Amino acid sequence: MTRFEIGDRVTVRDATTLFHTRTQAYTRGCTGVVVEHRPDWIIPEDEAWGRDRDGRTEPFYVVRFRQSELWSDYTGFEIDTLETEFSERWLEPAEEAAT
Amino acid sequence: MGAHHHHHGNGHSHDDHEPIREAPEISEFEVLELAVRELSIEKGLFSAEDHRRFSEWAENIGPAGGSRLVAKAWTDPEFKRRLLDDGTATCAEVGIDWRDPTGKGTPSDYTYFYVLENTPDVHNVIVCTLCSCYPRPVLGMSPDWYRTPNYRRRLVRRPREVLAEFGLHVPPSVEVRVHDSNQKSRFMVMPMRPAGTDDWTEAELAAIVTRDTMIGVAVPQVDWTATRAPSELGGHR
Repeated sequence: MTRFEIGDRVTVRDATTLFHTRTQAYTRGCTGVVVEHRPDWIIPEDEAWGRDRDGRTEPFYVVRFRQSELWSDYTGFEIDTLETEFSERWLEPAEEAAT
Repeated sequence: MGAHHHHHGNGHSHDDHEPIREAPEISEFEVLELAVRELSIEKGLFSAEDHRRFSEWAENIGPAGGSRLVAKAWTDPEFKRRLLDDGTATCAEVGIDWRDPTGKGTPSDYTYFYVLENTPDVHNVIVCTLCSCYPRPVLGMSPDWYRTPNYRRRLVRRPREVLAEFGLHVPPSVEVRVHDSNQKSRFMVMPMRPAGTDDWTEAELAAIVTRDTMIGVAVPQVDWTATRAPSELGGHR
């Protein structure tokens, strides 16, 4: 089961950067739209410690951001976007994040 | 590592020459790679012969596989549909074993492969800001600039400026879509087939689908290639 559906607006959590996450700093706190589901994969937090078979698996999502939502000083055009992937633990509904 | 060659210049006595300097100093990363490699061989994770064969494979693969994928997709709509639906499986049809590219076990990052189709409305370009992940079985080794912090930082933040530095000016009406390969997926761009190539063979088409067009920092050009045989361009029939 996936917590988010295609079209959902999601915000990337701004959680600890102490450990290996593969969640880029520049996406933290930013809001985008889920555009694709990926398979359940082992999360990098476990895989980084050699748990490449018995690590925890989670759904992954492709999230599309407007560049202007990632960078307040974006110099391109409003239609420009960026896509990247997140495990489910890094995402929350955009509405919750707004409060 | 290197043998110690002592070059004795003409007319110098053996006693008074300057100490011979070895080639440039080895970097910390090279020391680390050597140490990890030697430990891995000692522990039996792989043999020196495995390492040599992998290195030879990695240094010899180029972007020809990706070029063939795109050329075939341009001429065969059914193949194109399959390629966009399931990049990993469809690679095998042009002789690329994405799942087990070396035939010697699968590196953990060759997991999922997606082809991104450029359209009149969207121009795709790939980067990995976290390290420099790249679809090596399809495109070969990444170019040096792809791995630089400069490209990686700036492509996500100033994509149109970076593309312009490569000579590619994307019109304001076309969305620039950056793909940051931060997890398991690896990507390549399927450029648009240029006008004036209707009667071209697959091999002729493959010759204009260069590495950079599949990263997305360039688009295929017909002007200077159209008058040359693919063999002159390093294409393969």
